[in-house]
Amino acid sequence: MSQEFGWGYYLREVFRSRSGAVGIVMLSILLAAAVYVTLTTPPSVFQSWFNPANWVNNPINVPPTWINYFNGGKNPPSLQVPITFKKIYSSPTIYVYTGVANFTYSYSSYPTDVSLYLSFSGKISSINVQWVKPDGSSVNFSVSQPTAPSSYDAASVQLQQGVLQYLSKVTGRSYTSLSQAQVVQVLLSPPSTLSSNPRVEKGVYGLKLLVIASSQVNFSRADLFLKGSSFGTMGTDFEGRPIGLGLLLGLPNALEIGALTSIASVIPGVLYGGISGYLGGRKDGVMQWLMLVFLALPALPFLVVMSYVLKTSLSIELEALLIAFLSWPFYAIIARSAALSIKSQAFIEADRVMGIPSYRSFFTHFMPRLIPLTIAYTALGVPGGIILGETLAFLGIQPANVVTWGRILEDAYANFAAVNGFWWWVLFPGIMIVVVSFPFVLVGFAIERIVAPRVSVK
Amino acid sequence: MGYGRFLVKKAISYFLVLFATMTILYLFTYPVIQQVIKSSANYIGIEAKRTILASHPGLPPEQVNQEVQKLVQDYLNAYGVNKPFILQYFLQMKQLISLNFGIAYYLNSPSGSNQVNQIIAAYLPNTILLFTTGTILVVALGTIIGLFAARYAGSVWDRVVPAIAVIHSSLPSWWIGFLLIAALAYAVRLFPPGGITSIPPPKEPLLYAASVIYHMILPLLAFMIVNVGGFAYVIRSIVISVMGEDFITALRARGMPESRILFRHVLRTASPAIATQVILAITGSLAGSLTLEVVFLWPGVGLLTYNAILANDVPVIMGVTYVLTIVLLLGLFLGEAVQGLLDPRIKVGE
Repeated sequence: MSQEFGWGYYLREVFRSRSGAVGIVMLSILLAAAVYVTLTTPPSVFQSWFNPANWVNNPINVPPTWINYFNGGKNPPSLQVPITFKKIYSSPTIYVYTGVANFTYSYSSYPTDVSLYLSFSGKISSINVQWVKPDGSSVNFSVSQPTAPSSYDAASVQLQQGVLQYLSKVTGRSYTSLSQAQVVQVLLSPPSTLSSNPRVEKGVYGLKLLVIASSQVNFSRADLFLKGSSFGTMGTDFEGRPIGLGLLLGLPNALEIGALTSIASVIPGVLYGGISGYLGGRKDGVMQWLMLVFLALPALPFLVVMSYVLKTSLSIELEALLIAFLSWPFYAIIARSAALSIKSQAFIEADRVMGIPSYRSFFTHFMPRLIPLTIAYTALGVPGGIILGETLAFLGIQPANVVTWGRILEDAYANFAAVNGFWWWVLFPGIMIVVVSFPFVLVGFAIERIVAPRVSVK
Repeated sequence: MGYGRFLVKKAISYFLVLFATMTILYLFTYPVIQQVIKSSANYIGIEAKRTILASHPGLPPEQVNQEVQKLVQDYLNAYGVNKPFILQYFLQMKQLISLNFGIAYYLNSPSGSNQVNQIIAAYLPNTILLFTTGTILVVALGTIIGLFAARYAGSVWDRVVPAIAVIHSSLPSWWIGFLLIAALAYAVRLFPPGGITSIPPPKEPLLYAASVIYHMILPLLAFMIVNVGGFAYVIRSIVISVMGEDFITALRARGMPESRILFRHVLRTASPAIATQVILAITGSLAGSLTLEVVFLWPGVGLLTYNAILANDVPVIMGVTYVLTIVLLLGLFLGEAVQGLLDPRIKVGE
């Protein structure tokens, strides 16, 4: 068998196969993305993922916003409208401000909550709030002596009262209490439909505030917030965390664990298998036996037990080393069969006849022929590492403070995503695992096709 | 050296492997093992105290404590705690090899026992049932696909196999299980979403078997989707390499029909190499299969491990690790035995 050597040759061959070229392009994009995420994301973002307080404003278990293009606007996204204030009157004892927020609502479903956030400095004696609907009717309520920061959502007493008054005015009936969802319905339905079948009133809504204060007031944040039932490009999980962010944060560690595992298992594996095949005879037998000892360790339970031994000191690097500790025999087996076929070639025989020491023959003529195979299997080994790492995370075993896709999927499993139809929660993390594994497999297969030894049947 | 001698030699070698593997496991998990032994001893002490007090209510507390102390000390001695390390090692290895894994912290077997070996004994058959069926199906289907891909090398058929293999190698099986459940159990209600039988389990043995098979379809489908592609690809390259041998050309020249060459001669020659691949497939796909059990709520050791992780039940996890090591080695040994049967050089005694 004639073989060409040199990096240029292999690179050319990989690019010549269409799948190899596609794989390398995909790989470059993924690596660039991982580097970008690692460099631009401060550690606090990774930490914040695990802090539920950061995500309270997000709707929970909701699909991505683009779902509205397919279901006719049934899942409105969250809407945040800033309120702009203007001072209209001031004297040493009285300051009067007006605040305005306008927005267009064009979805066919109600938001899950409507709330008003105000944080300010200064002494406000009262706020009059007017919610003006597209038809011109308005819901009014007022707050006296608010403390900063204050927020009024559909469950708050003030808003409830205003809505109750409005409702008895337009329907002529009197109501005593309303649920949060009913308050939202009243706020966003045309008055004529309220007594029978409320439906969403589409159009321009306005929020007008009249603030009377006894001192100068600075509004640091003033928002009208409509909590929706869809979020971002990939939806949210049970704590309102955006899945899309989780996927980005999980990218660097997935690649890291895959690459580390692969390098740490393929290189020793190929060396071991190569030496074993080269030596042959009784030494080969002993080395084969020792390899079997490691092959017999069941990867998953062993790693689970090890996580109990290591407890909090488990890190990505350690996890990768442990996986490598279990997976090198696979590469040793492949390398050994390749070594056997190299050994039967004439040039090894020639080395021996010429009296070249066996170690020199091994390093100069034997091992270099295993290098392309090593590269192919390093690429092919990455997905195995990634998948095993994510599988462990799925079982709840992962380093602390690391965002993994396996963990996101475990949350999905524990929250019955399949039963509840939270498809975005299951689909996207899994697709990410495939997308990250796929280019490695493509490149690996492309190299393997060029360099694969004839599988030994002897 | 005939087949019998080959088998005996292999059996001895495998027993030594078992011992060595157990030693590695032991050394790696030493601190956890000590912790498990101590808590087991504690539990035994508490239980003993309760039974003594129940049967002899009037006994003075010092005497009871003395008795209990003695029992606990006996238990610790059996494991060689506080003895030199080398003695500890042999005593504890003896317990491990005789499948004595101590007492579970929280979990119980369906019959109510809290002995780890009995808990595992209740779950292991289900794992073996699912995993063996899956492996057999993968091997059979993979071999057929690989053979045909090699037979029609260069055709569309053949180009599909590497493509499938590429996609399959980058899929986690449990995620496929997830999608299958969402699609075929909830969206279209074709299959049950999980479990091993319908509830309550049918009494009629035939109906019971039918129910088990019905519940096995989805997990098996997930297992095959992930494993068949890679296996078929390997078979394809083995078969192609055999088809290049001179004796195949000679057979073709004699005018033997292609299908006869393929099934009689090529498959026969390739079968030892295929058996090696089966061995690798067994070890490689076990982890995925265990996680599939979690997704499909299949009551095997995978689900047991998941529950043990949730409950922090370390003795059970350790027990599962040891038992699966033994099962894996048995599988590998069977694989080698079959390989020896298929390889005429071993049978003849070369």
